[in-house]
Amino acid sequence: MHWIALQPLPDSAWHDAAGHDDDGAALVDALAALGWWALQFTPRVAQVEGAVLLEVSASERLFGGRKPLLSQIYQQNKPVALVHYARAATSLIAIARLQLSGPAPRKPDDLPLTTLLAARPHLPTLTRIGCTTWGQLRALPRGGLVRRFGAGLVDALDRAYGAKPELYPWLELPAVFEARLELTARIDNAPALMFGARRLLAQLHAWLRSGQRGILALELGWELDARRQDAAQGQLVVRTAEPTLDMAHVQRLLAENLARVTLHAPALYLHLRSLETAALPGTTTSLLPDDVRVGDSLHHLLERLSARLGADHVLRAVPCADHRPERMQVWQPASRAASAFATNSIAARAYPARAGGQKDTPKQPKTDAKSDALYPTWLLTHPLKLSVRNNTPQCADDGGPLTLLAGPQRVEAGWWGVSEKDGACALRDYFLARSEQMGLLWVYQERLGGQGRAEGKTSAGADWYLHGLFA
Amino acid sequence: MPSVWRADELARPVDAVVATGHAALDAQLPAGGWPVGALVEVLQAQNNLNEWRLLLPALARCTGPVLLVGAPHRPFGPGLAAQGLDPQRLLCVTTQTTAQRLWACEQALRCADVTAVLAWLPQAGSGPVRPEQLRRLQMAASTHSKLLFVMRPLAAREESSPAALRVLVNGHDRLALHILKRRGPPLEQPLCLPARAARLAALLAVTRRQVAAPPVMREQDGDQDGDEEGHDTNHEAVVARITPFPGPGHALDRTAAAA
Repeated sequence: MHWIALQPLPDSAWHDAAGHDDDGAALVDALAALGWWALQFTPRVAQVEGAVLLEVSASERLFGGRKPLLSQIYQQNKPVALVHYARAATSLIAIARLQLSGPAPRKPDDLPLTTLLAARPHLPTLTRIGCTTWGQLRALPRGGLVRRFGAGLVDALDRAYGAKPELYPWLELPAVFEARLELTARIDNAPALMFGARRLLAQLHAWLRSGQRGILALELGWELDARRQDAAQGQLVVRTAEPTLDMAHVQRLLAENLARVTLHAPALYLHLRSLETAALPGTTTSLLPDDVRVGDSLHHLLERLSARLGADHVLRAVPCADHRPERMQVWQPASRAASAFATNSIAARAYPARAGGQKDTPKQPKTDAKSDALYPTWLLTHPLKLSVRNNTPQCADDGGPLTLLAGPQRVEAGWWGVSEKDGACALRDYFLARSEQMGLLWVYQERLGGQGRAEGKTSAGADWYLHGLFA
Repeated sequence: MPSVWRADELARPVDAVVATGHAALDAQLPAGGWPVGALVEVLQAQNNLNEWRLLLPALARCTGPVLLVGAPHRPFGPGLAAQGLDPQRLLCVTTQTTAQRLWACEQALRCADVTAVLAWLPQAGSGPVRPEQLRRLQMAASTHSKLLFVMRPLAAREESSPAALRVLVNGHDRLALHILKRRGPPLEQPLCLPARAARLAALLAVTRRQVAAPPVMREQDGDQDGDEEGHDTNHEAVVARITPFPGPGHALDRTAAAA
């Protein structure tokens, strides 16, 4: 048996020796974080009297002996910037040594009685009979001790000297992360909540790391001063496309979203909850130094752009099999449609459905090699109606008549549409037209009055529209 | 003496370039292509959108996402695919204000996956672009080695700019390309580039006989096969010997010979 007791100092910042030390925010519950961190060394971790206990004898061999394991815990993989530690053969001795500020006595017999938790209620009596160390207490007759102070004290002594096994409720990693923080000051504007959220995120980072998971969705909630408003709560859900441990990215997304929130009353409490996590795939690093890429990944960029500009302003095209030009491609929010480019990452290979999202997107239609050369490079979102003079369509801002160069290319599609989703019926003749001012244009003339309503409009009076530009 | 740089030569120390797809233009650019990791300014009139003709061959050559920031219209995927650019590589950022466009550009330049950024920065309306803002983009592009093209209106011609390369494009049927600034001697004659993709030009050449339109292109005899790789080389640009500024040529000027 070899026990290690660890105790974080108050307000100690999470410090990760394995990198990612960009967020040195103070932890909300440093003891819990320390316990989660300690689970990577041994499954026997317990929280006792403000300290974290680790029983490491079983995992010494995995780490190559006691010395390498201790150097891992104390130096290489140091979790919290400021932490006290002590070690001994039993947990009670380790805790006692942790509590002594000066150099601890080598023998457990010389430890002062103040460090034994079970003896604390009886300290005045014991001091008056001149019993101040563990050794003196142990020398007293057992039967008398049990009658006078109860069985608990003798039991604790037995466990401290290794005569009885030590059992604790062992710590387990919670399945869902949930942390609450009381704000030190009332906060009136939402962006200022980020200071508290950073502390919660540091805690979340510790939880994610110990479970080797990445966050996909989290919820930040706040409780408002109940005296001021009826709606006493608010929350914000932030999602990311790929599981991430990068708290800087989550922080940026949170900050962008919080910037749009207004608080109706001062906030008093903050809480953070993990909604969805996924196992984090390992990263392969390259052997060659040239392959190291500087900068963040594409989905980080897309999420950041979408968070600030709005998801509808960051778009990518998904090709669709349709003959109507405006429906040949559908513009979707890029962050939701996931990146088709993320083929470099392992995540993309491991989770093709999530990374590519191509399961439900149709393949690009194979267009006729002759006709696609006639497609323009720019398409107007809404076709621009052209004025007609002498049966000739005129350029948009009165730029003279258009000369039709090629055409017609007949498009007749969408007549099957019944709902709004299918789009309108298109009966059009497309032409290549040339204008003195605008260059080469793609215009169409509606046939049969367009929109499928043959209401007696003659072909001569049909409307002309500008739909695309060649550039 | 190969290690001596002569003043009438183009500058050599360019990191990497992407060939423009126009042989005549390649010959006039340092190291023969669009510089990677430098700001390239394309000036053009408002109703004159020639950026795809100019940039698409180069973009088709590289891989990876291309971010369009503040494009005037939506790019039409099938039309671009016909010229060799996969429309799935395009990402559109549509914002109105210049500040947001600049911010989006800078973020995109810092991203490791993005290959090229195309930004449209209008002069009027949403606030002018200051040279220091462009300088910031130039710095970001050079730090992260990205292709960066900034489309600006003609009015920006007289302003100073930190761009490594500034070109002015005008014309519809024939692109006249003035290189306003490059790392090398100034070029006074404009380059003449084809304004249409080869197959489109061939089609127009056929219909031109019926429609009374001014001759737009060098005659291209019915080359209608859909060979995507070949069309840029067999339809190479012609350098016109037109001199818009009459008078003796500049001492440092190099004759704009056909490539």
